[in-house]
Amino acid sequence: MTHQSGAHPPRIAAWLVDLFTSNEHAESIAGDLLEEFSAVESKSGVESARRWYWRQSAKTIGFLVSTGFRIAPWSTVGAVMGGCVLLWFGSSLPERAIVGFLDLRRHHVMPQHSRLDIYVFWLNTSILIGRLLFGLLIGWAVAIVAKEREMVATMTLGFLYGPLNTLVLLALIGGRLWAEYGWRMVPHLMVLAFGFPFMIVVGGAIVRATRVAMLRRSLDLCG
Amino acid sequence: MSNRDYLGEFEHIVILALLRLAARAYGVTVRQEIEARTGREVSIGAVYATLDRLQAKGYVKSQLGDPTPERGGRSKRFFRVTAQGIAAVNRTHWALRKMTDGLDVIEGYA
Repeated sequence: MTHQSGAHPPRIAAWLVDLFTSNEHAESIAGDLLEEFSAVESKSGVESARRWYWRQSAKTIGFLVSTGFRIAPWSTVGAVMGGCVLLWFGSSLPERAIVGFLDLRRHHVMPQHSRLDIYVFWLNTSILIGRLLFGLLIGWAVAIVAKEREMVATMTLGFLYGPLNTLVLLALIGGRLWAEYGWRMVPHLMVLAFGFPFMIVVGGAIVRATRVAMLRRSLDLCG
Repeated sequence: MSNRDYLGEFEHIVILALLRLAARAYGVTVRQEIEARTGREVSIGAVYATLDRLQAKGYVKSQLGDPTPERGGRSKRFFRVTAQGIAAVNRTHWALRKMTDGLDVIEGYA
């Protein structure tokens, strides 16, 4: 993304706008922002232009998120509900797979009851990583279904699931678990509250970024 | 679309900007026209979100222009108001005139 003077608008801001823009307006919004960036830059300098670009991008994303939901509420809700169903039925799968794998190695490679601390460490770490990867997978699946509303759908799912799940967990069994595990629960709670929803959104961003790149490539081929 | 549909405040402003700009109406010029005339800072996202809504209602149509180098090879999307859109503007103006008619307090502020 360049213009005559060679200055670039902030790449991250441009990338974020691309993620939230529909295919129909992807080219025109990016082009409009670049055109005005050039005008502001030649009038007030690069730093002012970059600040202007960030401000415009933030406001634009805010509007695109709110209208994305209003324009296609049912397809977005459908994708989010699909994600909830996947979470409901699949949330214990990573733990079960990891525990099964580690148990297998423990019985076949290590003697029984030896190096239990290492086993517990790997069990905890693997479950945390497994949960994050599962979040990524769910975000990817939801974004595949929610065409052009990838980010809105995955953000909604993330905002619904993360804090809600943590609150329910704390309210239902938090007291009992806390008495048993204490501070060792904190990483798991953090992953559940922030890491898992973040990875859902990252999954959505990967799908959207891939689709934007494919759209650009097809436009380049046509043009 | 029902003939009782009125334009929202920002929809009204955007459609008037399109009418003023005629064949030059695209994202940048619409945004700048609104800022210059109302003194209100407007984001490109707000303009496109409103144009999307107006297009869904059939009040506005759009078409892509040619790609230009100052836009990194990206096309402009030009917008124009349809006959339905003009009817909606007239309806909204008529309703506003009816509502403000005889209100001395508004004339006093003008």
